[in-house]
Amino acid sequence: MKMQISSCSLSPAVKSRLTAAGFHFLSELRGLSPSHICAEAGVSQQEALQVLQAVRGGASMRGGTSGGGEVGGASVGPPPSLTALQLLQEEQSQRSIFSFCSQLDATLGGGLPVGKTTEICGAPGTGKTQLCLQLAVDVQVPVCFGGLGGQVVVVDTEGSFLLQRVQDIAGAVVKHCSLLVEDDEQRVAMTTFSVETILSNIFLVRCHDYVELLAELHLLPDFLSEHPRARLLVIDSVAFPFRLHFDELSQRTRLLNGLAQQLIAMATSHNVAMVITNQMTTRLRGGQSQLVPALGESWGHAPTIRLLLQWAGTQRLATIFKSPGHPGATVQYQITSDGFRDADQSEQPPSKRPRTHTVQSAAGQKDSNQSAAGQRDSNQSAAGQRDSNQSAAVQRDGNQSAAGQRDSNQSAAGQRDSNQSAAGQRDGNQSAAGQRECS
Amino acid sequence: MDWDQLELHPRIISAVRRCALSVRAVLCLSAPDLQRLSGLSRSDTQQLLTAAATACRRHAPLPALLSRGLQSSLRLSVGCPILDELLRGGLPAEGVTELSGESGAGKTQLALQVCLSVQYPTQYGGLNAGAVFISTEDSFPVRRLQQLIRGQSCLRSDVPPSLISSLNFSDRVYIEHAADLASLQECVSRRVPLLLARGLVRLVVVDSVAALFRSDFLASDWLERNRQLLTFSAALHHLSREYSTPVLCINQVTDVFSSSDSLVPSSSTGTPTVAPALGLAWANQVMVRLMMWRLQGTVSRGDQSSAPRRLQVVFAPHLARGGRGAGVWREGVRGLTETV
Repeated sequence: MKMQISSCSLSPAVKSRLTAAGFHFLSELRGLSPSHICAEAGVSQQEALQVLQAVRGGASMRGGTSGGGEVGGASVGPPPSLTALQLLQEEQSQRSIFSFCSQLDATLGGGLPVGKTTEICGAPGTGKTQLCLQLAVDVQVPVCFGGLGGQVVVVDTEGSFLLQRVQDIAGAVVKHCSLLVEDDEQRVAMTTFSVETILSNIFLVRCHDYVELLAELHLLPDFLSEHPRARLLVIDSVAFPFRLHFDELSQRTRLLNGLAQQLIAMATSHNVAMVITNQMTTRLRGGQSQLVPALGESWGHAPTIRLLLQWAGTQRLATIFKSPGHPGATVQYQITSDGFRDADQSEQPPSKRPRTHTVQSAAGQKDSNQSAAGQRDSNQSAAGQRDSNQSAAVQRDGNQSAAGQRDSNQSAAGQRDSNQSAAGQRDGNQSAAGQRECS
Repeated sequence: MDWDQLELHPRIISAVRRCALSVRAVLCLSAPDLQRLSGLSRSDTQQLLTAAATACRRHAPLPALLSRGLQSSLRLSVGCPILDELLRGGLPAEGVTELSGESGAGKTQLALQVCLSVQYPTQYGGLNAGAVFISTEDSFPVRRLQQLIRGQSCLRSDVPPSLISSLNFSDRVYIEHAADLASLQECVSRRVPLLLARGLVRLVVVDSVAALFRSDFLASDWLERNRQLLTFSAALHHLSREYSTPVLCINQVTDVFSSSDSLVPSSSTGTPTVAPALGLAWANQVMVRLMMWRLQGTVSRGDQSSAPRRLQVVFAPHLARGGRGAGVWREGVRGLTETV
């Protein structure tokens, strides 16, 4: 990639001198000595040093000029170029954050991807905050249970982070994991996995307006460097501070674009999952009003995945409506006192609760927990019927091999048949959901 | 915030002074823009941005465990153990709670009751301060308030009678009337902050938000209405978190014609299809949304009888969707133990 001198952050005087001397791309300056640049362009020795610093820092600055600070520019060189295969392997070696809603995880290929930005949109009361809190707890599930054992930073702009609720969700997850303990490693992990430790690994910041949010995002890269175990950053919500007090929309768009760049840079450089929530707004189009995510059209490019939560009658539906790796799909979910869960829990025999499949299957690699594995298969066949998209199937397979041993009992086709009726039932729900969407 | 308070090289401070930028304005500029404006080097600009960001940040991210026991976990009791159980202790000490319902559902009754329960010490679920009641609809029901005060010893059997008689309830309920939007904005941006800053009150009740915003605007003015609504809501949020004060907003309801509306779950219990007024713009601003219904029939308690009501949690970050039956009695609103 050739970076033009005019686009890098140098003082205008230096830039014009360099251009006048015939330099147009940063790469042309690479390998020159400071005195050479002084002689060629007629700049001072100090300016020449700055130029060289910019040349070295240029590539790593591409992501977020303002986000990385000095550390990103000077001391860390540009990241090496990767082939698509290397990237794929890297992505597959990373676990995802599961949501405890197996249907949603299945459609996302195992859960929310680490290193990407995911936006959760929805009208008030659809469960955006609930999903955020659930993920904040789930990311801490110890590695031996199939989790990430990570920490989380929660940026709360609405004041809706209520500890009472986090304690509920954390308590349910701890209880769930304690029921799955099978070997010594897990037993040891459980001694330190408690509601208290979960709460001490959630780092909370309250931002009262958009300036405070921008300030926090400027300082967060340093915080993330100090806390290398952080795997998730939640901003609940981006919309709230940016929708109050903004008369000048061009300014808002500009700030949001910068913010999006910072988030993406942070997600990749610190290997954290970004989860941001957004509100909905009404747009009039052709005389009809329509609910769309807020913050405008250009913001829509910021997140990698957009998830829409909504009510349909008495059912809660989650729709993936933007994702490069997954087909658009709609799944049902519910919010119980324990947190974000699959919708059809009550229809299942109690021994086969699908809500726990990710964790159960992690346990299942040790013994062959047939019912858990069968359960997942039924979910997948349901997902498969939903979309006959081949690439989607490939994607899912890829993730399965990444998840590795988890799926050792995948080939038990018999279980799939035995669960066919359950899957059929779900499909019935799906088509009902589809009709509702059409209408 | 002044530049001199920041730990920066005088050269950087004088450069940023030259272009007359405030600390907050600096954060709204990208690094290259800032460099262009101030003529500073790249590393100086980064120092400047970091210093400005540090000045704007109240604290570094704190473990959630440490915030336990702080103000945010405080709850304001509504004065009835059954309803408090539904609300998991009462209204959150920080945040905007909305209570909507048809006329006669008992919204104002509950609001008046909270105005009294806030005056108890914290061990009895109060916040040990008075309340300000902003009335926009009709005159403040002062007689009913007196009746409720007389009924406190009956309603709050958990509180020692000597404590109840020592509290001067009616002296600590401040009443503001706002007949139009301008006076409402004036009230929440000037008069109420004064009361809060002096520690006289720790509860803000607005009865109702819908009245002025619904009446002062034509349908075609919805953009202007939303703008005003957001200004008003920003003021309420500011009050709530600056003084960690619960804000209770009473809202009217509006009929819902289309059942395919994805905003609210359609009720399967046969309750009328109404939704809180003011639409999505307002709903986005509300943390806890409660609704109250008046149901058919009568319930009785001692020699009194009342139409049964239902208090319903529509959404809240910490509450399950659910409801409780309630009755409005002489001494106040009480939850019903049996389901209605």
